[in-house]
Amino acid sequence: MTKPTDLNDSQWQAVCHRDTHLLITAGPGTGKTHTLTHRIARLAPTLKSSEKILAITFTNKAASQMRDRLTALGLRQSQLFIGTFHSFCLKLLRDYFGNTALPKDFKVARPEDITGFGKATLERISYIKSSQLVISPDDDYKAYQRYLRQNSWVDFDDILREALLLLEDENITGQLRGQYRYIFVDEYQDSNIVQNVFLKKLAQEGVLLTAIGDANQSIYGFRGSRVELFRRFEEDFAPAQILTLQENYRSAPSLLAASSQVIKKSIVIPAQAGIHFELIARIHTEGKLIIHQAATDRAEADYVSHQIEKLIGGLDMNTSRRAVRSLGDIAILYRLNAERIVLGQALEHLGIPYQVSQKPQKHEFYSDEDALGQNEEVLEYNVEKVSLMSLHAAKGLEFPVVFIIGCEDRLLPLNLMGMKGESEEERRLFYVGMTRAKEHLYLTHAKRRQLFGQTLIQAPSPYLADIAEELKAYEAARQHTPKTDPDALQMKLF
Amino acid sequence: MKFIADLHIHSKYSRATAKNLDLENLYLWAQYKGIHIVGTGDFVHPKWSKELEEKLEPAENGLFKLKDKYAKPIDAQIPKSCRGMVRFLLTVEISNIYKRHDKVRKVHNLIFSPSLQAAKTIQAKLGAIGNISSDGRPILGLDSYDLLKITLEADAKNLFVPAHIWTPWFSALGSMGGFDSMVDAFGDLTKHIYAVETGLSSDPPMNWRLKQLDDFILVSNSDAHSPAKLGREANIFDTEFSYDGIYKALSDKNDKGLVSTLEFFPEEGKYHYDGHRSCQVRWHPKETIKHHGICSVCSKPVTVGVMSRVEALADRGEGIKSKRWRPYQNIVALPSLIAEAKDVGAQSKAVQEAYMNILSKLGNEFFILLDCPIADIQRAAGDVLAEGINRMRQGKVEIAAGYDGEFGTIKIFESGEREHIEQQLSLF
Repeated sequence: MTKPTDLNDSQWQAVCHRDTHLLITAGPGTGKTHTLTHRIARLAPTLKSSEKILAITFTNKAASQMRDRLTALGLRQSQLFIGTFHSFCLKLLRDYFGNTALPKDFKVARPEDITGFGKATLERISYIKSSQLVISPDDDYKAYQRYLRQNSWVDFDDILREALLLLEDENITGQLRGQYRYIFVDEYQDSNIVQNVFLKKLAQEGVLLTAIGDANQSIYGFRGSRVELFRRFEEDFAPAQILTLQENYRSAPSLLAASSQVIKKSIVIPAQAGIHFELIARIHTEGKLIIHQAATDRAEADYVSHQIEKLIGGLDMNTSRRAVRSLGDIAILYRLNAERIVLGQALEHLGIPYQVSQKPQKHEFYSDEDALGQNEEVLEYNVEKVSLMSLHAAKGLEFPVVFIIGCEDRLLPLNLMGMKGESEEERRLFYVGMTRAKEHLYLTHAKRRQLFGQTLIQAPSPYLADIAEELKAYEAARQHTPKTDPDALQMKLF
Repeated sequence: MKFIADLHIHSKYSRATAKNLDLENLYLWAQYKGIHIVGTGDFVHPKWSKELEEKLEPAENGLFKLKDKYAKPIDAQIPKSCRGMVRFLLTVEISNIYKRHDKVRKVHNLIFSPSLQAAKTIQAKLGAIGNISSDGRPILGLDSYDLLKITLEADAKNLFVPAHIWTPWFSALGSMGGFDSMVDAFGDLTKHIYAVETGLSSDPPMNWRLKQLDDFILVSNSDAHSPAKLGREANIFDTEFSYDGIYKALSDKNDKGLVSTLEFFPEEGKYHYDGHRSCQVRWHPKETIKHHGICSVCSKPVTVGVMSRVEALADRGEGIKSKRWRPYQNIVALPSLIAEAKDVGAQSKAVQEAYMNILSKLGNEFFILLDCPIADIQRAAGDVLAEGINRMRQGKVEIAAGYDGEFGTIKIFESGEREHIEQQLSLF
């Protein structure tokens, strides 16, 4: 078969690779999902009738998108299981119920079901369950597990742990290996140790694993994900091939250069192949990287909303100009949700429609028949809005225009009022934000910011200094000149 | 019965509108102007719709009147000569901003509703889609097609009227944010649109040049952002004084209920010619073609105005009337005429005083502009104004055309002519 025109050489190589495990290191905008779906489609015809492909995605939404793409490529539903780790593991718990120690009528506990435990306690327990294979339970942990059992619940983390226990049974593991000959895992840099061992159990005896991801975009360490797992893929899954997708089809060259300068300052420069590499720009649009310093968070919000007004060509006759962007082309990203409040007010003041997207909550990783209906919101009309979301929630998305607000020390990297991000992960998070932008990237910061009832005096984020001066344009706040437009005159009459 | 309706206005809750744009002032100014039915504007805005419910009560079918307790104090301010019946009809304008075929579209659309119930259904639907509380003319990232669908589903008697269809930035056929045809914009639902609004910068003959507009009746409204701008353009009906009467006049191709429209001189509109306001480049379309559409000052594309745009989309020559054509009369607002007669600024106190004075002597503005015998105007307001109105009625007005958001400027008298008229007439 000859190479289709919509795949480049490296993508084609990844699509065609046979006979060993495969790690595809795919930087932002390099056609990760495109490559993955083509690879699945190419392997599907080699399946026996009893065999299937298991494709693990990061969220339910990603699963349904992949399902659509594969159906479009002509694959049959019966050849595939596409879902998150959680939905696959839950399926196993149901299929092999008799082999579990779960109560007969077990149900999945949603976060809102759980009462009587503090948020910090729950987060700590969840982190332990995601990051440790063998747990030495403390009193909180024991009390919590007792509480779950009393209610016949399993929580999201236990879905994975219980499924892993099932794989101790060689009969079950053998059956599964016979059934799922190819396993695909997306966003591999964000997998945790439980998932890692789970995959190691399955990907044996002829079962081949394809993992895809980008260590530079690993941002879920606080939930127990471990970027080291990405780096030791060759040890975990031998023999393995590592391939790299380097050609970026998303961002303007200057934006790509800027984000690359930021990520290159990572302290961890691992020796392993495929972790650190240059992306090659394949889109030759003119990029714009604008740095804006505002006096206050309020002024920053005003700046952002007026820039958006300009970009969409004005909102009334007085501000009309050539429209270059639509509402859906624009995203505003921030480190903390608390930064959103002032921003929302400024947008509302101008009547600019916006929507807030949350980062995927744990329950969005899980789905079964009951939950599916609730998760898939049916929108009657396609309504465009400016997207507001945290940097975490922006993973996997792209926009022609991206604003990252609060590019300030103590916010990026986060180290504020007891909240502290792991410094390398914070840098990767900023990198994820920057690499969402296709053409315009605005990095804004305020000298004074109100957060959680406190007034903070802020310095610019150290990451801004990592970007070469020639790539940055500094823009001042717009001058408020008195309006002399006809409508203003119209109001004066009488 | 014969009545005048202005069905596109805004409330104080819309962007860049006067703070006194409330029901009382609309009631007051409708009478100064001689308007019988005025749109409420902005009915999806929660605060405005609350005011509508609070201050209005049902009158004739689909029409509402200001409750007596709010009307009485205003009545005292209105000269007896101007007092007339004022009714409100539920209207709203929506700003649709969306991408279609990779191009950003910005289209303004009007909705008229026959009942509070219908209006509230639309309010609820749009409220679920976007923010309807920030701006009386809400900005929604919703396709015009979907807005039309929502409108029709909410109540079969709702009317959907694409607003000022030629405005470059914000309209269905506009050069910058619009489509090349109504069908491109509204698809299979186009047949549910009966009327389009011409806007200030185009007049009916310009619209008659497009076959694609043959099935629509042309309406004209002020799009007022302050009470004093009511009736800049308006519609004269002669039919049942009710929503149904208006509905039938617009929707039924054989109905003659819409008699004629009152129009701005299109040259006076803000987007008649092409150009750049900030570069002070004002071009006739021919000039624009000569320059390939590129501004000679800043080298960026000029804002293409209505005249050019009509020319670009026209598929027949001048002088042919469309199937649903109506007569029209060009008018100039009375304050502008007074200012021109007195050779002072339109905003000046002298103009305001003279305006109220004339109204109290003769009657409402439309009566003065359209019907009042010239001799009566002479007696009440002097020879120069009377001659000005006379010339306006005959279309003898010189206008430096508007462009890129700048209104055109009207000139009725040559310098020295005013004195001449006064002397000449005083001989008799």
